[in-house]
Amino acid sequence: MKSFALGRYVPLDSLIHRMDPRAKIMAMILLLIGIFIPAGFIGYAVIGVLICAGVIIAKLSLDFIWRSMKPMLFMLVFLLIINLLVIKTGTLLATIWVFTIYSGAIMQTLYIVVRLMLMIVITTLLTATTKPLEMTLGIEDLLKPFVRFKVPAHEIAMMISIALRFIPTLIEETERIMRAQQSRGVDLQEGKIKEKIMAVLSLIVPLFISAFQRAEDLANAMEARGYNPGWKRTRYKKLTMQSRDWGLLMVCCLLDVALIGIAVL
Amino acid sequence: MPIQFEKVSHHYNAGTQFAYVALDEIDLTLKEGKVTAIIGATGSGKTTLVQHLNALLLPTSGKVTVLDRVIDSAEKPKKLKELRKKVGLVFQFPEYQLFEETIEKDICFGPKNFGVSEQEAKKRAHEVIRLVGLDESFLQKSPLDLSGGQKRRVAIAGILAMDPDVLVLDEPTAGLDPQGAQQMMSLFMNLNKKLKKTVLMVTHDMEHVLNYCDEVVVVRDGKIVTHVEVREFFKDTTLLNELHILPPSVIQFREMLNDKGFKLDSSIMDIKTLAKAIAKEVKR
Repeated sequence: MKSFALGRYVPLDSLIHRMDPRAKIMAMILLLIGIFIPAGFIGYAVIGVLICAGVIIAKLSLDFIWRSMKPMLFMLVFLLIINLLVIKTGTLLATIWVFTIYSGAIMQTLYIVVRLMLMIVITTLLTATTKPLEMTLGIEDLLKPFVRFKVPAHEIAMMISIALRFIPTLIEETERIMRAQQSRGVDLQEGKIKEKIMAVLSLIVPLFISAFQRAEDLANAMEARGYNPGWKRTRYKKLTMQSRDWGLLMVCCLLDVALIGIAVL
Repeated sequence: MPIQFEKVSHHYNAGTQFAYVALDEIDLTLKEGKVTAIIGATGSGKTTLVQHLNALLLPTSGKVTVLDRVIDSAEKPKKLKELRKKVGLVFQFPEYQLFEETIEKDICFGPKNFGVSEQEAKKRAHEVIRLVGLDESFLQKSPLDLSGGQKRRVAIAGILAMDPDVLVLDEPTAGLDPQGAQQMMSLFMNLNKKLKKTVLMVTHDMEHVLNYCDEVVVVRDGKIVTHVEVREFFKDTTLLNELHILPPSVIQFREMLNDKGFKLDSSIMDIKTLAKAIAKEVKR
């Protein structure tokens, strides 16, 4: 659990770390849109170069990128196999028993794999360089215009930040309960299936109980301090867009325009 | 066989930027049949230390010997269950580990995991529930309906039902009311005196250390500062000051009187002898 890299914030000091979270979130959305513009492998190469530059500027290690991709590896392989076997366009290349592989399938599959990998790196680039709290502030600000359409922007942001806040707490809690039950003879590695189900139960039940307890305590504590989501509040941390943030957005917009250009031509 | 730590280190998150040394080459030998208190500030490594005793945490380097079991950092240990049967560990706030529908089932959970028959486990449940100061009518209740203090007792009963040779307690009385705390302490003392169980406890309460324990181990920044007999420990007022430990009230009172010109011996550590000594001084 400790080596889990996907979605983890990496405390470094770089240009990208210092950028406005709103700009980074918008840039991520623009880049994700860019991925879905059918500009062929040239388009992906352009996006790829831009993302590589981003990774280098953010001072992230290749090892970290690789580790964040690891949990998705299974899905990638799964997609690869299914696509290879199901798509039947282009010329027939090979037949293995009842399975047939076509040239179109290889191209299509490569497309999907590259797309997914790019998406993982883009989102990692955002989560690794943005503190969870800044991220929720950014999301809240970006959702503000939709408040008019009854989108509860503040509530959503608050829910996200509470959820993020409690992930490490719950992991810690799980480890604690796991150790407590281990000293009562629970064996998570060995044992029959029935024993294993019992072992999992002895973890989940206390975890749920304490999670509900915590939720209730937190709700009470917030109410006791007069929390009301509808009220106007000031912020300790003010977000301000600077020229570098506008620059990032410009680059991403230009990229999308260029990709559309390539796709149309 | 005693409990022995030889050059034991424990590092959390080794190899990452969150790396942290919790234990730093500790050497420690604990005698069997004694009650030993482990004291130290929060974050000093007490909990990490005691979790090595039943191999919940494994040493990063060094060797731990518990009873006849050797846990060496060099090899991957197997069959830790046997060790965990002999060393019962009561966690800080153990009430969070309760999960069964009835208290009886929850107490039986530990013994049954270690291969005790259903009947025997139930028999033990009936015994230990009285030991911890609750009556048998509780056995059919849900553990979730109890108060915090009662939950604590049930959780401790769950460990006692495993009948371990070594009882390790991580702040067993934290959050209990004074009477409840005293009851639990005398329970542990009974287990030590009558059933000859080795007891180790992490505590912040110096009154408990003075009144119930035989030896003291002081941990600071992952190192053992001292390991002495309780009376020796409280005699050394300079060390107590250096460690920022507030001595028990009897000793505080004695020292206050000495500051005002009394000449009371530093070996006096209980109220009766202190009273006699004061009477003598006053008459003089």
